[in-house]
Amino acid sequence: MKRLTIFLSLLLSLVLVAAACGDDDAGTTTTAAAESPATTAAAAPATTQAPATTQATPTEPPDPILIGSLHPLTGGLAGAGNRMNNGAQMAVDEINAAGGIASLGGAPLELVPADSTGAADVGASEAERLINDGVSAFIGTYQSAVTTLVAAIAERDGVPLVIDVAVADSILDVGLTNVFRIQPNATSMGANGAKFLSELGGGTIKTVAYLHDDTSFGVEVSAAFAAAAGQYGIEVIADIPYAPFSVTDLTTEMAQAAAGGPDVIVLTGYYNDGILAARAATDLEVDVMAIVGIAQGAFHTPQFVEDFGADSELFFNSNYHFNSSDPKVAAVLAKFEAEFDDAMDTEAMLAYQAIYVIADALERAASSDPADVRAALATTNIADHFLAFPGPIAFDETGENVNAEPVLMQVIDGAVQQVFPLPLRETDPVFPGTPWGG
Amino acid sequence: MRGRSRTAAWAGLVVVVAVAVPQSAWWDMNHTVFAQAVVSGLLIGGVYSLVAMGLSLVFGVLDIINFAHGALMTIAIYASYLLFQNYGLDPYLSLFITIPLMFIIGVGIQRFAINPVMDAPVHNQLLLTLGIAIIIENLALVLFTGTPRSIELAYARNEFDLGVVTLDFPLRLFGAVVSLPKLIAFLVALLLAGALYLLIQRTQLGAAIRASAQEPEGAELVGIDVDRIYMITFGVGAACVGAAGSLVLPFLFVSPTAGATFTIIAFVVVVLGGMGSIPGALVGGLVIGLTQELTQLFVPGSTKFLGVFVVFLAVLLFRPEGILGRVRR
Repeated sequence: MKRLTIFLSLLLSLVLVAAACGDDDAGTTTTAAAESPATTAAAAPATTQAPATTQATPTEPPDPILIGSLHPLTGGLAGAGNRMNNGAQMAVDEINAAGGIASLGGAPLELVPADSTGAADVGASEAERLINDGVSAFIGTYQSAVTTLVAAIAERDGVPLVIDVAVADSILDVGLTNVFRIQPNATSMGANGAKFLSELGGGTIKTVAYLHDDTSFGVEVSAAFAAAAGQYGIEVIADIPYAPFSVTDLTTEMAQAAAGGPDVIVLTGYYNDGILAARAATDLEVDVMAIVGIAQGAFHTPQFVEDFGADSELFFNSNYHFNSSDPKVAAVLAKFEAEFDDAMDTEAMLAYQAIYVIADALERAASSDPADVRAALATTNIADHFLAFPGPIAFDETGENVNAEPVLMQVIDGAVQQVFPLPLRETDPVFPGTPWGG
Repeated sequence: MRGRSRTAAWAGLVVVVAVAVPQSAWWDMNHTVFAQAVVSGLLIGGVYSLVAMGLSLVFGVLDIINFAHGALMTIAIYASYLLFQNYGLDPYLSLFITIPLMFIIGVGIQRFAINPVMDAPVHNQLLLTLGIAIIIENLALVLFTGTPRSIELAYARNEFDLGVVTLDFPLRLFGAVVSLPKLIAFLVALLLAGALYLLIQRTQLGAAIRASAQEPEGAELVGIDVDRIYMITFGVGAACVGAAGSLVLPFLFVSPTAGATFTIIAFVVVVLGGMGSIPGALVGGLVIGLTQELTQLFVPGSTKFLGVFVVFLAVLLFRPEGILGRVRR
């Protein structure tokens, strides 16, 4: 009896191993097959299709086009990273359901997820893996520090990278030809943030204290703000950096920011530290006209409103945003929520959008060769997009989206509402305004 | 010789502080900021102490460097969060669930994972605890996604009439703000530190734990089941982060790496306070909390932890056995 059990379990494990190996083989063949048409499809489509017809039905669709998706799927930023990956997957599924890339014979897209773990070195090696896997283009990476390194690899290997989220100017400053960015860069974030403050206060905001994370993200955005603030008569009277991934409390930092008696406290950072900053401001009941995020990762998200309830009221954030006044966007949000049981944020929308940008380039290039995709990306002009930008998505010679601008949002009556610029306004801002009525 | 160099070190530190502080930035600034740094430092220091106590106990008794300590805290934070979300259970009441739960998990880990490698080389044990941490964090990622969540206590900003005085939270202390969740975390951490100290020093179980730590073979000879003591000790260590998890939930956030944030600091506290010393962990936690917040006033940002590691290095140099540690030979 015991022998039989041992024999059966051995047999079972053998079958399992065999099955696993079989899967593996299938996986490698499809990847290899996908690579060859990537380079030859444009030149000789007939020859690549010929062997396929000998063993399968003639109606079998062409091999999928691989698109990489590189985000922090584990580690402290895994929440945002996984939502972005889900957003990208949703776009891929939609495009495939609508018949794939028509100019390539209806070739479907296949998303290849990769995990940067939030670390630049891991992100770099994962980018190399994606390129070795034969992706036609890839999207990523949520963090400026990671993107800087990954962009250099994309440039070296000639595979286009479409940045969904990563703000630092320095990524594209160095003259890359294979890297494109959909979201506003640090200069746009900082300068528009200063402009919004001026419009919001109508000249009453004279001094701000700036609390920001000390990675390249927070440092660049706060520097861009300080550079632009002067022309609106706004002075940065305190600049307080903090370590975003190791803080467990920001009360002392918030007290430092409030100590000089600024008109407004401005914050730049990620989600977790945003929560800590909001808590500290609420506990201290800081005596300011408003708390304003600039490219802040928390104050415009559904999670923030959901978790903080009444305490989230009246927080401002100037950030990229999906166009919440567009009914098409509402449908995407609802679909995401139904599919992943998670509220879609703008980061996920940007990843979703990035896939559509690449699909558009593939369609126009009629080729999945990275060089052709790059050339097509450079002439992108998508007016029908999902973001709150003043014009179509189009890239200048440095790869920046010419119409990438943030919007100013405020949590009003339990919802994140767009208040500036005026064409995108959903409701009038409450200013001065803090949850504790300061 | 040792005594004199120690005195010199302390005197040097006092002189440096006395000279540097009046000329520094905070002196000109509002005194409230200084008060806030002290208050915040002490409050967060209490939590550091509680986390470090469990780590210190496990290290002192089992000689195991437990890299999974922060991950165990993550389990406790999620447990409290889920109890709050699904059953509306107050995080402070969930202490009565998370402490025993983590004790049982700790006993289980010791029984099935660590006891078998007690005699293995130290790097094997290290890899094992690191592996447990990775498994826990990624399980949390799969089960709960990486989205950080947080809860708000309905009564965090209330007045409490205690008969003699009325406390209006958040409390003001010399201009510094004391939020209710942080105060409760601090007080409960002190209470648990006292309880743990009494358990180790005054009970028969504590005597057995100390015996197993000092001389496992001797303890075995006088009839102590050392393996069982090890299981209980690891369980108690895990129960410490069980408590810490419930206590930090109202003012921190929950995510798969929330507990890991405390791991490095806890190691520093353990070494600083003296390996295996419960009062040492308490003092070490408060010192580190204070150092960290006061450093923020001078050199903000990531360099906030500079002060922590300067103090750490100074202690290693001048008092390698830790502030309250016993000299090991």
